[in-house]
Amino acid sequence: MTTSGISRRGALRMFGIGALGVAGVGALGACAPSPSNSGSSSNGGDTKSKDFDFTSWSLNEEAARPSIEKIIAAWEKAEKSKVRAVSYPYNEYLSQLTLKLGGGETTGAIHLDIAWLAAVAQMGKLADLGSVAPKGGYTDVALKSGVYDGKQYGLPWNTGSIGVIANSKLLEKAGIKKHPTTVEEFEDALRALKGLGGGVVPYAAATKVAQLKDIFPWMQTFGCTLMDGQKVTIGDDASVDAVTWYKKLHDARLIAADVDRFDARALFGQGKAAFYDDAVIGKGVTSAQSKDKTLADAMQPMQRPVLRSGDRPQALLWGGVIAIVNGKGQDAATQFALHTTSDLATTSEYFATRALPPSTTAGLADPKVAKDTFTTEWTEKITKTATGSPFWQFAQNAQIEEAVAKQVQAVLVGKSKPKDAMKKAGEEVAALIKR
Amino acid sequence: MTSTTSTPLSGTGRLKQSATSAGNTSRRRIRKDLLRSRIAAWTAILVIGAFGLLPVYWLLATALSSPEDAFQFPPKLIPTHITFSNFTALADNDQLIKYMINSLVVASITAVLSVVVATYMGYSFSKFRYRGRRSLMHMVLASQMFPQALLLVTLYAVFSSFGLLNTYTALVLSFTTFTMPLCVWMLKGIFDTIPDALLEAASIDGASRWRTLHSIVAPLAAPGMIAAGLFAFVRGWNDFIFAVTLADKEKQTLPPGLVSTYIGEFQAAWPELMAASLVVSIPVVVAFMFLQRYLVGGMTAGSVK
Repeated sequence: MTTSGISRRGALRMFGIGALGVAGVGALGACAPSPSNSGSSSNGGDTKSKDFDFTSWSLNEEAARPSIEKIIAAWEKAEKSKVRAVSYPYNEYLSQLTLKLGGGETTGAIHLDIAWLAAVAQMGKLADLGSVAPKGGYTDVALKSGVYDGKQYGLPWNTGSIGVIANSKLLEKAGIKKHPTTVEEFEDALRALKGLGGGVVPYAAATKVAQLKDIFPWMQTFGCTLMDGQKVTIGDDASVDAVTWYKKLHDARLIAADVDRFDARALFGQGKAAFYDDAVIGKGVTSAQSKDKTLADAMQPMQRPVLRSGDRPQALLWGGVIAIVNGKGQDAATQFALHTTSDLATTSEYFATRALPPSTTAGLADPKVAKDTFTTEWTEKITKTATGSPFWQFAQNAQIEEAVAKQVQAVLVGKSKPKDAMKKAGEEVAALIKR
Repeated sequence: MTSTTSTPLSGTGRLKQSATSAGNTSRRRIRKDLLRSRIAAWTAILVIGAFGLLPVYWLLATALSSPEDAFQFPPKLIPTHITFSNFTALADNDQLIKYMINSLVVASITAVLSVVVATYMGYSFSKFRYRGRRSLMHMVLASQMFPQALLLVTLYAVFSSFGLLNTYTALVLSFTTFTMPLCVWMLKGIFDTIPDALLEAASIDGASRWRTLHSIVAPLAAPGMIAAGLFAFVRGWNDFIFAVTLADKEKQTLPPGLVSTYIGEFQAAWPELMAASLVVSIPVVVAFMFLQRYLVGGMTAGSVK
């Protein structure tokens, strides 16, 4: 007879030691001298210092790095200061930032996705930029994207939204003369596109958990508010109707199974999808990976169809802000953030290299930006009515999105009924919020 | 005219013929069964081989594809247009070379440190009897039960306090936290197989304990030590989360370096990433090719007594 070599007593001993060890490790961490008291790693310190850090995930990325480095270099030269560039991969950014901000390692200016602002602001380390923001000339919608709990924690750098992109060539082929404006018209258009054959996926909607948060604007389209005060409304009739409709599209093969943002871009890039959801930057990303060099001209921003004519089209606000950490280099970093996000020449040049819409009225009116009809139409048609997610205010936002996505996917694959799934999703979100 | 008709066989002849025919049938059946089992074995090998090698093939195929082909949906199993541009682009990327050097330095030191410490610990656990030995052994193993995130946060705080963040030391020490326990247990198992009589003989011949360990035990346990070292090297080479958290761009190792370079907010440069992954995996593959016999021997050395 073989034995594992570890007796029951041994296993219990290991369990006991493990538990003690966990407690010990925790105690060791707690007993470690606080970094905030250790000089150089403090995020307290000289607020007047001209030198500061700038943390941004874009500093890693080939497409963005040169233009940001140029902004930094110009600032350093003009102000005779030293800006230390810090970056982490986008998917790791929030967790790394949270750890390092908490540990006092992060100072100066930090680039934040607007969806993360609340989680970071709750740490109590960010400066209130309320007195600085009016100097930037930002649009209302952009300014709001930097607000949490009534305070202006972020200066908006780029403000856009996630909306629907249409392929005008395919629409034309299917005899669709204008963009559908209601859900009913949209469904008719999808059926007409399906009729084209050739493996066309009329709407490359997200059906994989990773991106199924795209269902939220559809839920809002059907009348679900997602939250009402502190009460989660997922599970109400409107959310059930939205998911039932999504399932109907799925079963009729008007949307495809197992699609995330990458797949949707690939399908759209190959001319096999007529509609898909993306941020305003989607035009550049999708056309760059397409063999069809005329695709960019065929891409059009489309208002998300509404349930009844006259309803407000739904879109998710999207963009980035620059926040400032209290402490070392705070004043200079604030001026840097103001300059980077609102200086006309800087924002126009940044737009020219990255096609990210500026957040200021002057920036949007600049001829370099205004002549880009895709961006201006997007701003007018989609960003104008875009709103942030009510779940962004919670540190558990990612878990909330995943919980809902899993339930929606269960409906799509036939493992759950829309009503049961949404009821469960609502309960799970409520539990996450209470945690 | 000679008649060609065969003469009827006698009883014995018939028996012989029937035995021969039965023998032939049985041989045929055996051959058929053999063939069938060979086909089944080969099919199983091919299926398992394909399952194991498909990711490697996919890595190569994507590395040789243009971005347009790589993003084909549904994906194509065989690339239509082969390009080497993803490989040539690597040569221009100095930062990747830096990440690779960092990885080599950190993973090698981790391997050496883990083996050195684990050798002494494993030897102590195996050959000495003292109070608390079993508890210590279990404590070493129990450290593997901690969630990595818990260790990471604690190590971050400790390293930050001692000014060790963004240094090779931080990476080596953190990697050692998860490589050493298994190295200790692996080497203890190997030391258990070395007869105590050998150590006693060395002692009678006048060798000190120190000398016995270094001159007699260590050479015998060398395959196991190499296996443990390889294990520690690969764990260190592959780690992502400790490296991304404890090191800045200057000291970053390959896994976070590759992700930083090729996976962005909006786009993932899969062909370049695959080409880079293929190139940087070559040192590990070469190391395995040279040391695999030690690895297999070392891994199983302590398993049979």
